[in-house]
Amino acid sequence: MRPIILTALLAVAAPAPAVAQSFLGYRALGYPVFATGGRAVGTGNLGIGLAGTEFSASDPAASAGMLLPTISLTMQPTWGTFEVGDESGVSNTTRFPLIGVGFPVRQARGVATFSVAGYMEQRWAGRRTDIIDLAGRQVLAEDEFETSGGASVARFGWAQRIGPVVSVGVTAGAYVGRLEQFFERTLDTLNVPTDVRSFNEERRWRYGGYNLAAGLSLDPHELVHLAGTVEWSSDITEHPRPGTEGRNSYSIPLRLSGGATARLTPRLAMNGSVAYQDWTGAEGFPDGAVSTLALSYGGGVEWTAIQAETRSLPLRAGYRRIAPPFRYGTQDPVETVWSLGVGVNFVELQGRRYGWMDLAVERGSRTSHPLTERFWRATISLGISRS
Amino acid sequence: MTHRSMPAPALAAAALLTLGGCTDEIPTAMRDELVQPGVAIEITLPYDDFVTSTAVHGGYGRTSQLGGGVVAHEFGPGPDEEGVEGPGLDAATLVRFGHFPPTITVVDTAGTNRIDTLPAFESAEILVRFDTVGSILDGPVEITAHRVREDWDPVSADWDFAVDTLGAMVPWSEPGGGEVEEIARAVWDPAAGDTVQIVLDSALIEEWKDSTVTSRDVRLSTNDPGVRLRVTLVRILLNTVPSINPDTLVRVPVPTTAATFIYAPRPRAPASALRVGGAPAWRTIFNFNVPRFLNGHPDLCDALGCPVAISADQISYAGLQLTTVAGSPAFAPSDTLILDVRMVTAPDFLPKSPLGPSTLSRRGGGILAPEVFRPPAGQVVEIPVTELVRDQLRGEGAAGGPVTSTLALLSILEPWSIEYASFAGRTSRSPPSLRLILNFSRGG
Repeated sequence: MRPIILTALLAVAAPAPAVAQSFLGYRALGYPVFATGGRAVGTGNLGIGLAGTEFSASDPAASAGMLLPTISLTMQPTWGTFEVGDESGVSNTTRFPLIGVGFPVRQARGVATFSVAGYMEQRWAGRRTDIIDLAGRQVLAEDEFETSGGASVARFGWAQRIGPVVSVGVTAGAYVGRLEQFFERTLDTLNVPTDVRSFNEERRWRYGGYNLAAGLSLDPHELVHLAGTVEWSSDITEHPRPGTEGRNSYSIPLRLSGGATARLTPRLAMNGSVAYQDWTGAEGFPDGAVSTLALSYGGGVEWTAIQAETRSLPLRAGYRRIAPPFRYGTQDPVETVWSLGVGVNFVELQGRRYGWMDLAVERGSRTSHPLTERFWRATISLGISRS
Repeated sequence: MTHRSMPAPALAAAALLTLGGCTDEIPTAMRDELVQPGVAIEITLPYDDFVTSTAVHGGYGRTSQLGGGVVAHEFGPGPDEEGVEGPGLDAATLVRFGHFPPTITVVDTAGTNRIDTLPAFESAEILVRFDTVGSILDGPVEITAHRVREDWDPVSADWDFAVDTLGAMVPWSEPGGGEVEEIARAVWDPAAGDTVQIVLDSALIEEWKDSTVTSRDVRLSTNDPGVRLRVTLVRILLNTVPSINPDTLVRVPVPTTAATFIYAPRPRAPASALRVGGAPAWRTIFNFNVPRFLNGHPDLCDALGCPVAISADQISYAGLQLTTVAGSPAFAPSDTLILDVRMVTAPDFLPKSPLGPSTLSRRGGGILAPEVFRPPAGQVVEIPVTELVRDQLRGEGAAGGPVTSTLALLSILEPWSIEYASFAGRTSRSPPSLRLILNFSRGG
């Protein structure tokens, strides 16, 4: 299994992680990354409350039942289009929103976890042309602005099972990542003997800040699983890199989330999850940039189509309605996503997965007048445990 | 859990790697709200704000390097750029011809190329070709060919000296080519073509065909006042009857082995005006001191607040603005001048300092039409110096090399022509200035 782990790590290291692409949040921190694996995506889940032992960046207690060291990796290629006013275009990207490692500590009967999960990301470019006055002459100016980067959260955590019913988990994380902005201005050359050099400016920041989360999960009945998480964050700060000026800080509101799974038949389970985060009081953002919507929710079903002794093949379907925190214009944004998924559990014993691959395909759209974005997104997750 | 073979996850990992290489396409929209426009400002720095001193140095290159000649007589008397009256220009072209060919190749009656070792030179003429665009004349001009009797150095000869090198200075017995002997004269009518043929007498042909003769030197000049002619080619054409095929006449060229021109008077160095070009060439040296903070420019201060620190990246364009001055008519430009600006890499060794690479040869921008120097002149021309100003502000070259604050304004090749360009200096009413186009961003 070592080659598989090595391969997975290479997959993380080899391609530069591309980032989410949306014009939402161009005035703020960007577009939120819901760092969930292929199983959660396929079932329309927000990353909390799925039954079974899982690795989830937003459900600290979900790893408590892990028996073997496990690594999971998620990749998301996205193919999108956008319309903003009369203009339309495409955006394609591939990103790695979640990498997680769980390491059971038998003596303590708990699981140490480490994860790197995307949080807010932005990558887009804007152009404008203008006629400017230059010493009394009218000169055509073309400006291009490109921003690229995003914040991720690197978390260390601990998940502990307390008896057969209760599990708890905590994580402590730090915001990492960088933001790069490029500005280029090209002036018409007609008024000087030679060409006028384009003006280029590059600015870079690194993200900083802290994040704490605590979660509780309950299995009050063999057919029911419940989970809840509260997540607190310090301000996210953009620290300028050498050669860049300007330090920006943004407050991040408390995030509450919860989810539940109910097993309807031996092969059919249904889940629902909800997250609440009110950005209206957040500081540091331009006026009118944050959304007044605070509630996101999702739900779906998982049906085990094939169940062998040590292998299974579940099929999934779900729906999510997400409230991204930042607007494009003045309208609160809403993202709706329908999803289908399939899991291939190569090794599964007593309901625990030791080697798996989850695939999900989403069709979604998000709107915040005058912006509409539509996308197809695939999520591929690999998980491997080893003794 | 035990180790197991898992081809499917391995394949999945490989697929994941493959998908990881999917092409990225960044969403791009032409929307004003996505881009906060930058600030572009144009300012003009007066002389004292960016120059600490200027100097004019002459003597770069030699007339022999021009590869042609000049013939002039009493051309353009009048004041120079500082009002000092000067006589007209006298110039003569000196050429040295090679040996007459001892053999020639001819086509015999059978149509075969054969070498004739006994050619008979029936007659000969000197063919002189002029640059009709670069020559200034009103009508036909009589050209006189003189035989030069004194030894002279084709590289260093000038109006007063047959040899003018560091180790030896040998004056002509008479300025302008020493004691000369007229060979022949002919009239060049520019309306009839760009060449004139000066017929040589048979005695001279007989003398020069002797291979032991080392001096076949000719001075071309004119006594018609008010003309300045540019000579582009001189050669002897021998009208030859081959012994192999005596019924034909073959014209055999005798090329020049050296050519130069000598002229008087030499232009005096300007006291305050700036000068570029000529042969030998003049250079103007600027000691720049480009400010790193700008203040007192209302547009700039209104947009960004003052003082404003500027860096190399913010200089999108820098142009050295110069005001043309009508210089001595004898050396007034009659054709386009191409100027260059180069960094003086070792200012302490001026006027012999080496120069940095050309900054304009590939980008253009130093091309000046002759009309801008015609009286009353006073036109503002602009020489791009963007790269050099950026280097000054950066404190190093674009490739990291050292920079100095001393720049040389010169012709793109030295010498380019006998003509030179004159510009107003610091003490004039229109001293040089520096036009800057600056850009600043305000984020997205």
